[in-house]
Amino acid sequence: MGKDMIPLIFLQEGEEGIIHSVEGGLRLIGRLASMGITIGVRVKVVRNVGGPLIVTTNSTRIAIGKGQAHKIVVLRLTDGKTKPA
Amino acid sequence: MVEMDLLVALAGQPNVGKSTIFNILTGLSQHVGNWPGKTVEKKEGYCISDSARIKIVDLPGSYSLTAYSEEERIARNFIINERPDVIVLIANASAVERSLYLLSEFLLLKAPIIVALNMMDVAEQQGIRIDIGLLEKYLGIPVIPMVASKNKGIKALVSAILSLSDWKKEYAPSIADISEDHKGIFMELADILERYISPPYLDRWTITKIMEGDPDITEKMRKTIPPDSWNKVQALLRQHEDSLHAVVRGRYNWIEGAVRVAISEFKRGQILFTDRLDHILTRPVIGIPILLGVFALIFSLTYGMGLPLQQLFESLMNSLATSVEPLLGQSPWLRGIVVDGLIGGAGTVLTFLPVLFFFFAAMAFLEDVGYIARAAFVMDRFMHVIGLHGKSFLPFCLGFGCNVPAVMGARIVEERRIRLLTILLTPFVPCTAKLAVVTLVVAAIFGEKALIISWILVAGNILILGFSGAIVSRLFFKGQHMPFIMELPFYHKPNLRTIGMVTWKRIVAFVKKAGTIIVVFSVLLWFFSYVPGGNIEGSILGFLGRSMEPIGRPIGLDWKMIVALLASVAAKENSIAALGVLYGVGEEGIREILPGFMSHASALSFLVILMLSIPCVATLVVMKQEMGGWRWFLFSFTFMLFLSYISGMAVYQFALLVGI
Repeated sequence: MGKDMIPLIFLQEGEEGIIHSVEGGLRLIGRLASMGITIGVRVKVVRNVGGPLIVTTNSTRIAIGKGQAHKIVVLRLTDGKTKPA
Repeated sequence: MVEMDLLVALAGQPNVGKSTIFNILTGLSQHVGNWPGKTVEKKEGYCISDSARIKIVDLPGSYSLTAYSEEERIARNFIINERPDVIVLIANASAVERSLYLLSEFLLLKAPIIVALNMMDVAEQQGIRIDIGLLEKYLGIPVIPMVASKNKGIKALVSAILSLSDWKKEYAPSIADISEDHKGIFMELADILERYISPPYLDRWTITKIMEGDPDITEKMRKTIPPDSWNKVQALLRQHEDSLHAVVRGRYNWIEGAVRVAISEFKRGQILFTDRLDHILTRPVIGIPILLGVFALIFSLTYGMGLPLQQLFESLMNSLATSVEPLLGQSPWLRGIVVDGLIGGAGTVLTFLPVLFFFFAAMAFLEDVGYIARAAFVMDRFMHVIGLHGKSFLPFCLGFGCNVPAVMGARIVEERRIRLLTILLTPFVPCTAKLAVVTLVVAAIFGEKALIISWILVAGNILILGFSGAIVSRLFFKGQHMPFIMELPFYHKPNLRTIGMVTWKRIVAFVKKAGTIIVVFSVLLWFFSYVPGGNIEGSILGFLGRSMEPIGRPIGLDWKMIVALLASVAAKENSIAALGVLYGVGEEGIREILPGFMSHASALSFLVILMLSIPCVATLVVMKQEMGGWRWFLFSFTFMLFLSYISGMAVYQFALLVGI
């Protein structure tokens, strides 16, 4: 099951995942939590083309720098149609 | 009915319409200043109802109440120390979860809270339905549905404030708990810490903050309690590294509870307007050209509408000067101070108003509809190269209008390092005044090639900005990563009231800060250009210019041009007036005679130095204030002098070499 546990940055545009853990300092964890990004939340990557990412949850839409996106580990959700990694 | 005084704090995350509500409640009674000793804006005002005079303090917008940023620290210290009668937490109905997160933090502070659930219309459009009654019941506090942009719910909010301040006893909020598996640690921590926690701090809040790793509270407790107890606390926290997660999880469990009982969503299949627009605007290949187009449009509109007005004001000021002059008698002093100093200085401020007004209004419009956040997003990758991130984009844009509000606009950047760097680089953005000088000199000297030369100068200026950022960030902030997290609010219809307020605020910053300083310095400038010889050649300024001539030689500037540059420190466009006086033709004749005195190479060097050297005094004053100390200010001051001199020399020598 481990293979679908990946840093957020590796999700393609349009893919969704469930946040499994946030590595990094208390500051990052706290800030993300206060903006609605925390363990167990379902996120969708809507923009990921080299620069910062745009991630949406059902109540928010935020831009996250690449560095931070490396520290957020998600469980990728596959809907059957997405090609396996 | 008894008149009573109430203190109410407005709190909320960014992008929830907090300023709109503040503006409606306080109207024209509002006062904008700074929090004591801080570079964070403090807004307060009064709302008068039938039975009470309500003082409303707008707390800085913050996502949470942990002391990670100055804003958060100010908001929570206000609640803890000032104990407002009522806190109004403004929530975004289309993003309830996140707003409730902040609420859960406020509730821990045991303050009487009302939730103002704003943007109900947006939520409705998105298919989100909120049962207000059930939400109130779950939270145990009043919830007022609102559409502030349409003035809906304000009356209900005011009466809720009045009744809550009256009936505190019946108020029993539900409070988010720490997740089940960590209650043990909470109790253990409580055993050690409780006896050391004293008012105004609350036990539960303090212990929770310790578990969250809040830097301020941790430090405060470390100082208060005996070392061996503190070691125990540290050991406990080390054993349970996930304490913060436990606190966060507890809050989200509580939030989920609220969402389950009170909120239902029907949409999701429907593609939101925001999704569709973002699909285009945030894609670099399309987004960047659109961004450039939008700014080209803004500049042409700004100058198209602003310039005619500017000329009108200019001729008005000139006729004022000519009509006042005869009344002043023979004294050259009175004439100098009133005509050159006061009217000249005030005229400068006045003539820049139209262009600045249109420019700032356009920027406020883009901010309000949500576009600036997207612009910041697509610019982020470039900003990273120069050691900044997307949020610095807005202050830079404002800089094209006037550097003063731009430097103050750097406040939106939370990280201190990045904010410092943003302020340091802002003077490299060519402001309206610099552009005016460039346009005039280039047109006079280069004739047909004027347009191209102007573009090259501006583009070169921006490149130098980038280059400086890259160097300074690598020298001083090496290896420090720059976290970039920014909310992209939903696009929405422009709210004229908010746009008006934001524009007004920036215009006031220009008039108050720049205006007063420009007028004072115009008088001083006249003084130094008159004393002791009675004319500019024999004045202190002339003497300074002459004694600096050796420095001017490698950069192709004679003493008159040096004097013009010195004069530009009062206000950039003063350099034109100074040249006019020095060459004895006045401001109008300068176009005709300039080519005779200034070679192409010298003109380029002159303009490069004007653009890169220290900004006007008004900007300097604000920079010092916003940088919060002398160290960085002095560094940036010398950096600009050095850089402008080197660049001026490079341009001059190069121009001579290739024979421009």
